[in-house]
Amino acid sequence: MRLEYILVGFGILLCLAGIGYLAAEYVKYLSEVGKLVSLFLTVGMFAFLGKYFEALGW
Amino acid sequence: MATKRRNLFLYLAIACFIGIIAIFITDGYIGVYDAIYIPMGERQQKIEADQWEEWDEDGRAEVGWGEKAIFRYEVDNRQFSTYSADIEVSVWHTEEKVRDLLSQQVSIAAFDKGQLQWVIDTAELLPGGAPEQGYEFTVIIKRGEIERKIIVYMYPLHPPK
Repeated sequence: MRLEYILVGFGILLCLAGIGYLAAEYVKYLSEVGKLVSLFLTVGMFAFLGKYFEALGW
Repeated sequence: MATKRRNLFLYLAIACFIGIIAIFITDGYIGVYDAIYIPMGERQQKIEADQWEEWDEDGRAEVGWGEKAIFRYEVDNRQFSTYSADIEVSVWHTEEKVRDLLSQQVSIAAFDKGQLQWVIDTAELLPGGAPEQGYEFTVIIKRGEIERKIIVYMYPLHPPK
């Protein structure tokens, strides 16, 4: 169980690092609509992750 | 049932993540981007594709009278097909065309870069001698429908004695 938590945590860190890198590199090239949709998807992603961990019992 | 619902949240989070990546790739990376290297006295400065708007407002290149101003224009084709366009470069002053510098068709392969370079001889452009108060002119680059403007400030040159 602990290993599972570590793997999930590692996965989340990788996701955040990936998004951070892409955001730093390419957000300046995004159109206004692209930025807005990305914002909604980011909020949605963290919301669903939150619900997932809530359902896990965290 | 609870496990299914829990996994559904995880799948939705992953779908959102994939969506963000897809937007960054299609909207942020794919496309045709241009940049230019302009003279700034002894230095050269690069104007990146995302800096054109702010440069239109308050940026300008600088060159001394009698010197040659070297410009290098770079087109980055980040598409899956070959990009072709007519590129025209001209010098303007007070809404009037002074001279044509370049007119060339470029064809750039997919995910490749193309470069054009031109030189403006400032003494030839203003043969009457060095301007006392400085002189501004505009270099207009037309690439298909897109137009870029670079204001160039020509300053009087006083070489060390």
